[in-house]
Amino acid sequence: MSGRYDPELEDTLRDPELLRLAAMLSSAHTPEPPLDDAFKSGLRRELMQKAWEATERRGSWWRRLAAPPRVAWVGAAALVALIALVVVQTQGTGGNGEVVVGSPQSGGTAVQLQQPILVSFNQPMDHQSTEQAVQIVPATSVEFRWSGDTTLFVQPTSGNLAPNTQYQVTIGPGALTKGGKRLTSPKEFTFVTQPTTPSPGGGPSPTPGGGSVLTGQHRLTVLPGADYSPQWSPDSTTVYFVNAGGALQSAPVAGGQPRTLVPDGVSNPALSSGGDRIAFMRAGRLQVLNLSGGQTIGVAGGESATAVVWVKNRLYWAGPSGVFTTGPGGPGVGGGTVKLASNPDPSGSFISIAPDGAHAAFRSGGAILLVDVATGATTTLGRAAGSGSFQGWSPDGARIMHDGVIADMNGQTLARLPAGDPSWSLSGQIIVGTDSSLIEVNSDGTGLLQLATGSAFRQPAWAPDSSTFVFVRGGFLWAAGVPSGHQPQVSTIDQASAVVAAFMQARLAGDFDKARSFLDDNGKAVYAAGGPALIPGGDAGFRRYYILASEVDPTSPNTVRFVVRLIFGRGGPLERTLSEETLTLKRVSASDPFLIDRVTAGPVRDLGRGPVVVAVRITPSRVEVTFDSDLRPTTIAGVLLQDGQGSPVGGSVSYSDRTVTFSGLQLSAGAPYRLVVLPTVQDVGNRNVVSEYDLDLVGPGADVSAGSAPQTPVIVLPSASRAHAPAAEVRDFPPLPAAAGFGVALNGAGAVRVSAGAGVRT
Amino acid sequence: MTDPTRDEEKRLVEHAKRDPREFGALYDRHFQQIYRFVYSRVREQTAAEDVTSEVFMKALKAMPRYQDTGRPFAAWLYQIAVNAIADRYRTLRPAQPLEDFHDLSVAGPAIEEQAAQRDEVRRIWAIVEELPSQQRTALVMKFQEDMKIEDIALAMGKTPGAVKLLIHRGVSRLRDEAGVLRPLD
Repeated sequence: MSGRYDPELEDTLRDPELLRLAAMLSSAHTPEPPLDDAFKSGLRRELMQKAWEATERRGSWWRRLAAPPRVAWVGAAALVALIALVVVQTQGTGGNGEVVVGSPQSGGTAVQLQQPILVSFNQPMDHQSTEQAVQIVPATSVEFRWSGDTTLFVQPTSGNLAPNTQYQVTIGPGALTKGGKRLTSPKEFTFVTQPTTPSPGGGPSPTPGGGSVLTGQHRLTVLPGADYSPQWSPDSTTVYFVNAGGALQSAPVAGGQPRTLVPDGVSNPALSSGGDRIAFMRAGRLQVLNLSGGQTIGVAGGESATAVVWVKNRLYWAGPSGVFTTGPGGPGVGGGTVKLASNPDPSGSFISIAPDGAHAAFRSGGAILLVDVATGATTTLGRAAGSGSFQGWSPDGARIMHDGVIADMNGQTLARLPAGDPSWSLSGQIIVGTDSSLIEVNSDGTGLLQLATGSAFRQPAWAPDSSTFVFVRGGFLWAAGVPSGHQPQVSTIDQASAVVAAFMQARLAGDFDKARSFLDDNGKAVYAAGGPALIPGGDAGFRRYYILASEVDPTSPNTVRFVVRLIFGRGGPLERTLSEETLTLKRVSASDPFLIDRVTAGPVRDLGRGPVVVAVRITPSRVEVTFDSDLRPTTIAGVLLQDGQGSPVGGSVSYSDRTVTFSGLQLSAGAPYRLVVLPTVQDVGNRNVVSEYDLDLVGPGADVSAGSAPQTPVIVLPSASRAHAPAAEVRDFPPLPAAAGFGVALNGAGAVRVSAGAGVRT
Repeated sequence: MTDPTRDEEKRLVEHAKRDPREFGALYDRHFQQIYRFVYSRVREQTAAEDVTSEVFMKALKAMPRYQDTGRPFAAWLYQIAVNAIADRYRTLRPAQPLEDFHDLSVAGPAIEEQAAQRDEVRRIWAIVEELPSQQRTALVMKFQEDMKIEDIALAMGKTPGAVKLLIHRGVSRLRDEAGVLRPLD
């Protein structure tokens, strides 16, 4: 048995037979216990609510943030941002006794779903009148809880917020202070929620056949450092790392004793693209070791660097003064130093530089900023005042992983990741190591697959060959491979998605030439011939986009269709309209790049005027249709699922937590189905679906070309003949957890039955 | 290009100490391992949920008083969990058979060899479950949770020497009770 070597056990047990027993015990690990996701998310909500209450007892959050001790921590720049945040959120200064309203969620672009809406006031409020003055769009049944008289928790009764939805929260002038003073004007804030979890059923597909599909798993060495900073040689044969004693070592992946290159004090190692030099920090100095000659040189200006990377054999580093690179001669060749960007916040620090050198991650207070190295412009990732966590880059530097999501360089969340340590391979697959499993996921957040369970797989790092990786487990550094059936590969969808993302980003940025570069002649003709605007005019207020659906054409693996939703708003924070475009991407062969060949545009639809489908999940036996609003249950008969002949499919229909579920189905793989949402469907605010909404579906299991697991169907194509009918968002997502601890329900008449102050807010 | 895990944990802890609303990140980071540990001790989902809730609620409440001793934050959570489980065990014993809970890991030998050892390993772990509570906890933390002895000591409120003794006695007792073992090599 290849039990791990554990010096602690050697020292403790000593006896060979006891050590063999220990090895046997170590070789067995606990499978994941049964876990109710609703419990996990419910407990988190409960904890956060307690945390807010505790915070409130210590004083209003904006007061604490402005208090001197906090100022020191947050830093001057963060404080400026927070002050601006409060001013923007509150729409007033609070002078002359004015009621000031704030929310940490205000302006958020990727707000987590599992939390209440939080509203803070600068003075004690009358509960009843304030609750009655709360309006929420889209229509949402909520329950109210107070922490004291100044903090109001608005909890959707369905448990979570709706995904990818802009919420507009208004406190009307009917709200009274404890002293009877009215608001001088309605107070309003908005935020956008994050996408749904990509995994079907809330978790990755199980490992086929048991605990692991990994191959060649073997131990390389003992005890890498807490941050072992692995660096792979270009040929994927050697891994360089920092051990627990701070020594820079290299270990052949095939086996053999690690070699010590630098005895101690090493951090931030970075191997050059050619694999011939390795840079690292030691004693506060940036140094470069020539691996062939063995000589080490210091890099002028590299003192106190906190991030180091090579970009095409050119050394980049970031320190307290900003981001730098060496001159053309390279480090130590007299080429000088070039400053690329300044430090945006003297109290913060750079964390990492992207592999392409175009961006850097920067920590300022609790937030992660994305710094454009060329312009110095910064983008706050996630919550402005949150506890941001940087997790890595895509190999091309076009994506950043942070706080469990993948975001583009505008900070827009594109997909979610399982909680853990991610590593993004050159071929586009992401593995995520957790305390109990190893999960593979596509770079668009889909296709979760559990590769191994029962053990910790911390800090995995892909080799350049995208088939081998190292990880830390039980105090050892291990290497393993993924078997041929699971070898990471860039799916057709991933490749096409990257093109769509770049295309849409160029449109958002107003870069006409770049956007046009993703079109073939047919595509150019569509946008030039009175079709949708390639660069939506400034008046349109193009704000964001997201991919609703994607499918490889079953008849051609080199044709992929996407349904993209474009969100517009102008003259204020509200998103006003949406339009959808169906993009057909083609390539000649698998080695050619995708180009956009056909485009069809749906009509512009108003937002905020009635329920909108925001997610659809389909399996052979079940179709779940999620709306952004709570619906009147008596009207869900207007949600239909039809077969190719327009006849209703069998099965039963139920409604819960904004989701209409068709269950007991026997959908045929590849067969056409249509989801129809009639205008008779009404939300709890008595607003109807604006116009009939049709969505063509294909029975799951047909999309074999994308390599999807059978239970991961999600094939949606807007009907060409019904191009006027926009498609809905289609994503894999787990069932929304039931509300925990709230005695609120919609009764059969669509009214709201509550146990304590709650109601429909529209 | 990786996040410095330890430094990141220290940062998260410092943030959570200053502002309890930052505790969510620590919860996300440690929920799974604490829940798994608790479940392995109480063997019943509802009880595991109760105890896990108690652990994190207590941790949130005690966050301002948490002192970084250089050990992983998880060790502190384990400590709270051990105490919470002990409180529960005063009135409740695990009811579910344990034989099927432990399985061979991915880190062992070839599949076919694993299969041959599966029964033996289960048998040994079943004996672990019969050990005195503190020996059992020490063995679970060492062999199931991959914890270092100093962390186990912190979690159990004992000295590292005492933990080593518990492990030695536990494994020795396993040897005595398991009888003749199948050779491992």
